[in-house]
Amino acid sequence: MKTPVGVLRLPRGPEPNSRGFDPNSPRFQALCPTSLTSSSSSSSVDVEEQRLRAEQREHFLRTLLLMTDKRVDFQLLEKLRMRGRFGASDIDVLNFQVSDLETPLGVQKEALLRCHDIISCSFEL
Amino acid sequence: MQRWVDMSPRQWQEFINQEVCVSARDQHSFTGRVFTVDPVSASVVLVSLDEAERPAVTLVLGHAVSDVQVLSAGSEQTLSRMRSVFLQTHTPTHTLSADELQRRRESVRRWLQDNRIPVQEDGELLRVAHALTISAPYRPGDCSCANQIILARVQSLLENNPETSGDALTTESTQDSG
Repeated sequence: MKTPVGVLRLPRGPEPNSRGFDPNSPRFQALCPTSLTSSSSSSSVDVEEQRLRAEQREHFLRTLLLMTDKRVDFQLLEKLRMRGRFGASDIDVLNFQVSDLETPLGVQKEALLRCHDIISCSFEL
Repeated sequence: MQRWVDMSPRQWQEFINQEVCVSARDQHSFTGRVFTVDPVSASVVLVSLDEAERPAVTLVLGHAVSDVQVLSAGSEQTLSRMRSVFLQTHTPTHTLSADELQRRRESVRRWLQDNRIPVQEDGELLRVAHALTISAPYRPGDCSCANQIILARVQSLLENNPETSGDALTTESTQDSG
């Protein structure tokens, strides 16, 4: 087991003054009524779309649960590959918390990966 | 094709259970069967269920997807195989006989009533306080409710049910005419 390297840079914490709801977050932009992609305004169409949305999100959350504590292969931009133990994701799927991340500079004991830098994650069951 | 991230849940639903090839940034491509698409990030969950190897799951982040091509359609069988991979924590109710399910349902119903919680049987479901539903096999994890506080209350009550927590004791009913 490689010796962990020292922490290079601490991640920024959450906003101390807000309640966590950011109107500029991608999630709000995606879900706020003025930008929803549903085509019709009739309530029956919205109900079905909402049902699909909820089911798809639930299945996605179960996928994340299954991925927890597993060694995952991250494919990043610029043909970079790293392995790490997946810990958690934030609600907007913007950051992944990983442990024992094998980087070209050594093993980072704890790290936060920006999802925007990740192309894919693979793991075996 | 419309941009992947701009599609609606209905459009993503068309790809679910299909064998697809996802093209991504940096000339990457991934094949597998679509289990789900995250509506928040448009990320695609692909499953490979080859008989010879262990099941592998690949999550392709939505922002990186450039194209998704359907290779072949799925079937009921492929759908249920995928679901069994992801929903492994659920005890399949068909392993319990109808009598066993009935007995468990009765036990849970009695326990809730003894604790003054209004509950009604609705086929195989238990409807609690017009707000929460318990499905077979009536464990704390089988509750669904829109209200977090009611959910937590009922779940901790179910966990404390002496009949289903391994004891053979029957609870004595302390209910008066209420």
